[in-house]
Amino acid sequence: YEVSAAGVCCAGISVPRMATGMQEKQYTPSLLSFFIYNPSFGPREGEEEKKILFYHPCDVEKNEKIRNVGLCEAIVQFTRTFCPTKPAKSLHTQKNRQFFFEPEDNFWIVMVVRNPMIEKPNKDGKPPTIEYQEEEILDTVYGAVLRQCYSMYKLFNGTFGRAMEAGGVELLTQKLEKFFYRYLQTLHLQSCDLLDVFGGISFFPLDKMTYLKIQSFVNRVEESLSLVKYTAFLYNDQLIWSGLEQDDMRILYKYLTTSLFPRHSEPELAGRDSPLRPEVAGNLLHYGRFLTGPANLKDPEAKFRFPKIFVNKEDSYEELHLIVYKAMSAAACFMISASVELTREFCEQLDSLVGPQLTLLASDICEQFNINRRISGPDKEPQFKFIYFNHMNLAEKSTIHMRKTASVSLTSVHPDLMKILGDINCDFARVDEDEEIIVKAMTDYWVVGKKSDQRELYVILNQKNANLIEVNEEVKRLCATQFNNIFFLD
Amino acid sequence: MDGEVHRAAASWENGTLAPVDRLRTERADSPTPGLVEGTEPGAGQKSAMFVHAQSFEDLTAETEEARKEAEGYSELGKPADSTDGIEVLMGKDTISEKQNKKEGWQDSKSKEEDVSSEAWRSHRKHVFVLSEAGKPIYTRYGTEEALSSTMGVMMALVSFVEADKNIIRSIHADGYKVVFLSKSPLVLVGVSRTSQSDKELMRELQYIYYQIVSLLTLTQLNHIFQHKQNYDLRRLLAGSEHLTDNLLHRLDRDPGLLLSAVTCLPLASSTRDVVSSSLQAAKAKSLVFSILLAGDYLVTLVRKKDQFLHHIDLHLVFNLVGSSSSFREGEGWTPICLPKFNTAGFFHAHISYLEPASDLCLILVSTDREDFFNLSECKQRFLERLSKRNAYQALKDALKSPSYSVAQVGIPELRHFLYKSKSSGLYTSPELPVVYQSEEEEERLMGLYHDLHSRLHHATRPLRSIYHCGETENLMAWVTSGFELYLCFSPLGTKALAVSAVNKLLKWIRKEEDRLFILSPLTY
Repeated sequence: YEVSAAGVCCAGISVPRMATGMQEKQYTPSLLSFFIYNPSFGPREGEEEKKILFYHPCDVEKNEKIRNVGLCEAIVQFTRTFCPTKPAKSLHTQKNRQFFFEPEDNFWIVMVVRNPMIEKPNKDGKPPTIEYQEEEILDTVYGAVLRQCYSMYKLFNGTFGRAMEAGGVELLTQKLEKFFYRYLQTLHLQSCDLLDVFGGISFFPLDKMTYLKIQSFVNRVEESLSLVKYTAFLYNDQLIWSGLEQDDMRILYKYLTTSLFPRHSEPELAGRDSPLRPEVAGNLLHYGRFLTGPANLKDPEAKFRFPKIFVNKEDSYEELHLIVYKAMSAAACFMISASVELTREFCEQLDSLVGPQLTLLASDICEQFNINRRISGPDKEPQFKFIYFNHMNLAEKSTIHMRKTASVSLTSVHPDLMKILGDINCDFARVDEDEEIIVKAMTDYWVVGKKSDQRELYVILNQKNANLIEVNEEVKRLCATQFNNIFFLD
Repeated sequence: MDGEVHRAAASWENGTLAPVDRLRTERADSPTPGLVEGTEPGAGQKSAMFVHAQSFEDLTAETEEARKEAEGYSELGKPADSTDGIEVLMGKDTISEKQNKKEGWQDSKSKEEDVSSEAWRSHRKHVFVLSEAGKPIYTRYGTEEALSSTMGVMMALVSFVEADKNIIRSIHADGYKVVFLSKSPLVLVGVSRTSQSDKELMRELQYIYYQIVSLLTLTQLNHIFQHKQNYDLRRLLAGSEHLTDNLLHRLDRDPGLLLSAVTCLPLASSTRDVVSSSLQAAKAKSLVFSILLAGDYLVTLVRKKDQFLHHIDLHLVFNLVGSSSSFREGEGWTPICLPKFNTAGFFHAHISYLEPASDLCLILVSTDREDFFNLSECKQRFLERLSKRNAYQALKDALKSPSYSVAQVGIPELRHFLYKSKSSGLYTSPELPVVYQSEEEEERLMGLYHDLHSRLHHATRPLRSIYHCGETENLMAWVTSGFELYLCFSPLGTKALAVSAVNKLLKWIRKEEDRLFILSPLTY
């Protein structure tokens, strides 16, 4: 897992707010620590350090590490008094929140997030007063972020148990160190929101004809290159076709869109003569290139190594090479069993077969996309923004989030409104029935949440003077135009 | 929609205390959303009875506030010296465990249950009180002895986090949460399977804390534990556990505790005025509050000028009276600390029923522990005056129908509602309709109200209104600077109907406010 340059940035101090002449500093939530332990590895007193498999930040003193792990163990054990099968998932304190996750038997991952805080300067040289904002962090959001950390580790390394079998604690700690050292730097805790809870996939809207073209492309490639086991096809960072299981595709999609693609987008955007632009090595027939593996096939030094990923297969998993090949805005992922060694010949064959076809497809899709855009009329700022998620196919759609840059997605609404969406989502999660919640915030924005069957829709309306009935009408109109009336209760 | 959203300060967060006097002519006839505190239906016309502004936040605010309050009123309710109160408390006037057995619902409660059993674990809401030394003081279910190691762990967790200059708040798991509240020298822990927010649960623990303080005073509590850190407080609280049990039971179903408000016995204003003025006339030098209750309804409250009763203190009085049948047997005389008034000292309360079989209970709160006979005489004077002015019969008639049906409002889809007037600290609510009368359904409805309440009053993301449409009912909640309103509709109700129902209901409450609220509270 590689870190994009833009992805490494420190936990933010936002722009200081002016308050009665004195400067207040506002701090967003940030990662305090992240550790992984297994209580069965050091059960005896004096051996506690053996439990700890990974600890970030690494420069924490040994006793401090043992203490913090000890607290987590105590909390988990304590809650078993009240429910032996469902122990603690989070601990709230004045200064921070800790999230606990046991992905595999006895392996615990803990993430400690500092509450946002405001630093108020004091007169007379006294140290500043710190005010912790204890109700700002949503458990559902950060719990999901923690689970995602594990899923991402598992995608590239397989389970903890696999590393244990292969090389014992030593190998596991090595792998954890190698993966999380970089991965943790890409966590942008201050910009996590409801979309992290869903962990959905954005699908590219397409007409039937073009969709069939893509499907037949995938079939042809899989037929010609019989080594290819699974294929996924994306356009504009949105998914069109996937042969993987949903859960595997979900985490792979996350990796592609928040890490791999952003790292490669700059060269494409750069001008033809820019030094950033990779050498197209005289091949003017197509725009295809490998995003993983060799940067230039003509380079005699080129290595034909691809990242390996682990996907689910019945009760087990299988290890695959991940080849990501892109032409303009279209990207195809080809997955090949890791037991096969990939050669220069294979890559050249793939390049010559896929390159021209993918280039053609990309321009076809682009044309279709522009036609559709023209039909739907000019972009004008609508009176509402929405997030939609379908639990059945993991489809998500957001007009609240702007295009993702590097691994951060920006939202176009106030963070408090995003948290209200999160609150409504928590309400929905409690009861397994169709519901609708309409709230009016103190800022007079209306927020509507609808849950029907497996679908959830959240709308923010900027019509401050509207009443409940008008808001309802507006949302009905939205459902009719955007979702063909698949929704909901009245 | 460009992120330029400014957080509006929640208006109730800086609410003023008692509203200024208002003339009747200033009160709008037709209720509109613009109604502000003091003009909403049910607003007291002369002055408020309670210190109730910031009502909800009171409970969650830091304790300094309470301390300041206590200092302000220090002439009243002087701190009792430590042995004094305990003796009185243990005296025959307090309630013994035997009487507790008479309370029907408590019979089902078994203190002896096995604390490792599934039945014990699955209780909806556990509450534990312990000392800072980790010694058990109270458990709602099971015995303190059996839970002493569990409570030891609780205390260890509290101190462990404290050692990092941090404070433990809560632990969350699937389906339940554990909430911690440190109120030195006590630690309170709640384990809840309800959907209530941390803040709501914290508020309930605070009530339990005040309940214990009301029996001992904070001064004594501190004194005891300073003296002997390892003290077993159960020795002092023996016989009073049912007060805490009862309070917990109320917290689950009494909307007044949720709303930080009190409900009144519906009564013609002419009758109420006579009752109030009779009570006002029956004053004595050391008398601070005269309170007439009818079950869980307030009939009237007369207070010494400039002295306010906090709704929490009044709820503790309600709980004391409601938890004990001994006051039916004659005139009771008991020390009571009203912790929101002053955590340092005891008042002395004369508690008696107007008639043995009646629900009308008179509470006279005095600062003088030798005042029993004086207050007894006050009661006689009150009764004589009441009979002379023919109000007693009217009062007894009103008692026959202490509640009203929601059908009187005339909105078919409306099943139930809670309406609180912010300035008077009073609320009104019809009796539960048939669908919510079973214990389970009643708790569920209250749970829904709790959810709405905690969303509206969220610490950093408060809301103006909520409309919730579900499969079993539609709910609506609305808060303005003047009132809070919670409505429960049948699932067939539409949004348009809800909007018109609110207007209709507010008009109805305005029309009935003379009867449903105390509009002209009196002082001596």
